[in-house]
Amino acid sequence: MSADEDRRVKQLEAGNREAARMWRAWRTIHQMVQDRGYTLAEEEVNMSLREFKDKHCSNDGHVSKANMKFSAHPSDDMMRKYSTPPTLREPNPPAPDIGPIWCEFLEADNVGIKHLRTFAQYLSANNFHTGILITSVNITPSALKIIPAVANETRIETFNEQDLLVNITHHELVPKHVLLSKEEKSALLERYRLKDTQLPRIQMTDPVARYMGLRRGQVVKIIRKSETAGRYASYRLCV
Amino acid sequence: MASSQMPKSILKKKTAYPATASSQAKADRDRETAVYHANILKTRKETELDVLLSTETLLDYPTSSQPADNPSVEDATTLKALLKPFQPSDYDALIIERNIENRCGFALCPKPNRKDTSGQKFRFIGQSGRAENFKIVHTAELEKWCSEACARRALYIRVQLSESPAWEREAVESRVKIDLLDEPKSVEMTVAEDLQRLNLNDNAFQHNQQGRADLAMERGDQGFTARNGLVDVKILERNVQRQPEAPSSNEGELSGQFSNMHLALEGHTPSFDTRNKIGHDGDDEMMDWKM
Ligand SMILES: [Zn+2]
Repeated sequence: MSADEDRRVKQLEAGNREAARMWRAWRTIHQMVQDRGYTLAEEEVNMSLREFKDKHCSNDGHVSKANMKFSAHPSDDMMRKYSTPPTLREPNPPAPDIGPIWCEFLEADNVGIKHLRTFAQYLSANNFHTGILITSVNITPSALKIIPAVANETRIETFNEQDLLVNITHHELVPKHVLLSKEEKSALLERYRLKDTQLPRIQMTDPVARYMGLRRGQVVKIIRKSETAGRYASYRLCV
Repeated sequence: MASSQMPKSILKKKTAYPATASSQAKADRDRETAVYHANILKTRKETELDVLLSTETLLDYPTSSQPADNPSVEDATTLKALLKPFQPSDYDALIIERNIENRCGFALCPKPNRKDTSGQKFRFIGQSGRAENFKIVHTAELEKWCSEACARRALYIRVQLSESPAWEREAVESRVKIDLLDEPKSVEMTVAEDLQRLNLNDNAFQHNQQGRADLAMERGDQGFTARNGLVDVKILERNVQRQPEAPSSNEGELSGQFSNMHLALEGHTPSFDTRNKIGHDGDDEMMDWKM
């Protein structure tokens, strides 16, 4: 085998590894968006590696992230979950704080203020309610400060490719988390005569909370399987 | 007989709630505390946003193509103004952000930062092997700037920034004035600088400034947080009516001092039996201050 050919093979192998990596992240982000309640076609979520390569890889096996972006709209079910039930005092509650989502993979060795600002401007300009930016490197601390600064226009979440290689919620030790709607939350609190602050908590930075895109004040039902007690549910307040 | 007596409760006696007036006072105090902390948070948030926006502005600096050793007057002035609330860590973040945009870390330099293609982690700097100007430097450190001159210019600013966050700074500190290593060398500026030097009142102004700083220090002026603090501390000068008297050093007292000098702690002799004696006639004289 000539040195030239050797190098070509190695390049191809590296390209294949990279393609497989990106495919896994691509799959996880789709599952995440679907699990949150946005509408996605099944063939988009369950894209095979071959299809992914055809779509996003160049001939030499290099993954082009420029096209790795997609949007989704919330399902009716999700809209219901985020809506505020009308009360006597407020018969016309505000519209559910949810809307179209935009996901984008960023190809950059360093992610700074400029990237985040551009992303935020894109989201606002296209009326995306939420945006997920997936990067291969850590974002600089000052760039992350953009997120709260634009919070009243659009909601930005960031993920590292590394964290999306496996879908953590599919791990057997991670119990099922289910988001409660506002109505369900108030019913729960009423039933147990609790204030929401009396519930156990889950951090907003918790990997599962990040996966679900939990917001402060939301309550999740966590369903564990117990050998002695069958299924066992607990509730946590996101803080 | 036993039945006629009320059974004694083993529960804690309910303490009557304080009168409405005092609970009103407590509510007021609670509200004040909440407002106070909310204000601190608000100031802090505003400052942080300010720093973020300034960082974004300074990312695209300079606005002209003037070289770093002779920046344009407007750019230099804006830079100085924008950097005021920065802490050194914010400044470092600015340098990182500029490097991401492939710009020299010094905000007034139009050149791109150096790129080391060798892939080495360390570099030697120095000429002719002389010990004093021979250094081993992180390549990453070198890649922040376009040249060593710019590194000096940038770090010259960094050391002038205040370590304390802008919302906690003292009144004096918030009047930070930042100088550049290479100030703009345009004609008007030079003339203006000369004029400033010529200014006859300048000395008086400086004196005034110093005086104000001293006063602030003496009063314990501590910027926003302490100025609007929860505890209202007033220090009052105590009026002493007695005629001042020079300390005497007559024989008897001196020998008395010698006899218990071994008891002295840093010049103070603790006394136990004589305490009462001092107590009734000398208490006032011992303390000429009062909170
Ligand atoms: Zn430079």
